[in-house]
Amino acid sequence: MPGRERVQVNFFRPSTPGIRQEVAVAASVLAVWALLSFGVPILIFVAGLGDSSGLGESFLTRARFLGFPLHYWLIAQGCTIGYILLCKLYCLLWDKRIMPQRRQATGKDPRR
Amino acid sequence: MRRSLFVPLLTAAGLVLLAAPFAFAAGEEIFQIEPGFKLVPAIIMVALLCVYVGVGFLSRVNETSGYWVAGRGIGKYGNGAAIASDWMSAASFMGVAGLLYLKGWFGLGYIIGWTGGYVLLLCLLAAQIRRFGKYTIPEFLGDRYDCHSVRLIAAAVTVIIAITYSTAQFKGIGLICGWIFGMDYNASVFFAAGVVCAYMLISGMAGVTRNQQIQYVVLISAFMIPLWILIRKAGGAGILPQLEYGSILSDIMQGKVASGHLTPGEIEQVREAYLPWGGGNFYQFIALVFTLMVGTAGLPHIMIRFYTVKNEDVARKSVLWGLFFIGLLYWSSPVYAAMGKFWNPLGGQAVADVIILSAPEKAGLGIAFIGYLAAGAMAAGLSTVAGLLVAGASAIAHDWYATIFRPGCTDRQALHVGRIFTAILCGIVVLTALNPPALIAQIVAMAFAIAGNTIFPAVVLAVWYGRANKYGALAGMVWGLGMTLIAMAGWIAKIPFFGADGLLPATSSALIVCPLAFLINIVVSNLTHSRVTEESADKMDNILRKLHNLPGYVEETPSRSGPVH
Repeated sequence: MPGRERVQVNFFRPSTPGIRQEVAVAASVLAVWALLSFGVPILIFVAGLGDSSGLGESFLTRARFLGFPLHYWLIAQGCTIGYILLCKLYCLLWDKRIMPQRRQATGKDPRR
Repeated sequence: MRRSLFVPLLTAAGLVLLAAPFAFAAGEEIFQIEPGFKLVPAIIMVALLCVYVGVGFLSRVNETSGYWVAGRGIGKYGNGAAIASDWMSAASFMGVAGLLYLKGWFGLGYIIGWTGGYVLLLCLLAAQIRRFGKYTIPEFLGDRYDCHSVRLIAAAVTVIIAITYSTAQFKGIGLICGWIFGMDYNASVFFAAGVVCAYMLISGMAGVTRNQQIQYVVLISAFMIPLWILIRKAGGAGILPQLEYGSILSDIMQGKVASGHLTPGEIEQVREAYLPWGGGNFYQFIALVFTLMVGTAGLPHIMIRFYTVKNEDVARKSVLWGLFFIGLLYWSSPVYAAMGKFWNPLGGQAVADVIILSAPEKAGLGIAFIGYLAAGAMAAGLSTVAGLLVAGASAIAHDWYATIFRPGCTDRQALHVGRIFTAILCGIVVLTALNPPALIAQIVAMAFAIAGNTIFPAVVLAVWYGRANKYGALAGMVWGLGMTLIAMAGWIAKIPFFGADGLLPATSSALIVCPLAFLINIVVSNLTHSRVTEESADKMDNILRKLHNLPGYVEETPSRSGPVH
């Protein structure tokens, strides 16, 4: 007996337009998230390779931003503010891209 | 006089620090509590406790859905504050500033780890978990993979996290109560347990959630008010301390501190702490950040928050607000650390432990404010414990009792069992808090690794990979849990490989273990694809349709446990 057609869900191969849009929003936000979370430390690491003491001193630690050493500000406030903005961006993108389409598709406001 | 009052608070801080997710030397907790009853802090504390229990009483519930998920009537600000309050334990409240003081720049890894995890949670899980629309994370995993073993492993992990985490909180709460009311440590642990149990049993999640909103206001105000006075004393303008401490920090790096100039050797020591790799190397930093992120996104008592909201729109927005409310605390903690360095650049653990509690004294805010601060720390501890106990009790009562053990039980019975298990869990926590095992700090430190290695991969694949099946999930979860426990045992046995400088540090094991858990789940799921029965595959497909709003979703047999909007 042939089985029913199975539901295909795959983050990297979204099967329906609805999932595709949700994935597009999530993936773009996650790309920036990865850049912040790992890109910034990598930048600090690469910049600090020239420091022979191994402590990672570089132009990033010498530069000042709002009075902070730049490498400190980037992690302590840059990344965290970035995360909050990313959450905001995610909500905005969702409201702009996904909500209207879903309202059309189902004929009702998904917010209920 | 104030000095002598202060000693026990220092002790409390030291103990609360045990809750911080990394290892402090255990065994420092044996301190003598200064006897006596402090009137002003006691009045403040009792008033706040009355408010908590009163709110719990006013919002009491009679249905299971109200007990577990607050009747789903919580809005985005309210749920955001509850997420923040759930999140901010006594450890966050007191420990993070001390950690930043000791570790300098490297300590910031904890801050981005604990905030960045919420972005993962939001993008990958929040809306889908809300669409699933039932009660607990073990239930989600058990239903999605159509497998009771998966459900039980998830429930066990939830309970392990709840117990270890709450034990550390209880020790802190007990010490604060002991200091204020002059009780000995044992009596104050019982007292704290009584308060926690009272309002949880009276009200369930609705009361807990409302209380968490009040507790957030108390803890964040107690935390932030001293900053404005401190920054003025350190030579700032006193407008926005979170920005003004930057220049003070830059000065400290150059050796300019309150006491004048340091010797070149001391300057080097202070500067080193604030340079990137003075506290640990690049790999350790990334491993720590990654582990904390996936751990945060995998903590069951945080995920359960998305069931408490009206709809997925509110679920998304409450993450945004929750993260903002958490951000307020984490932008302020480094100010305390920098102030501590400014006045005492070379202090060790003893100074780090008391940074938050010595701040009001330094700012000259007086005994009443110290009482308020203690009440804030208490609020932080209570709210976290309450959230943890609800998550833990629901894992047992709902996922084991009402689903596996007695599937036919009525709503009333399930609620009853839920209350009993809340009390039992509370009892277990009290027992462990009274006789804390020496390793409790290490075990708590593992909570993030366990959540990140076990729950997070299973939940993400459950949502985003349709072919993931129960065999894959089991293999992945057993791998994640097993490796975390092995790393933990190795760390306790002081095997260098699992130590802080090793390749697989026990507290940061997820950078290696978590991606492998994903891989194992995917590979095993594909290998066993043909073994899944048609019936089981139909059930899994049905859940997937619900998670992704796909057409063809069939409502299951009428929900037994109360209304689902």
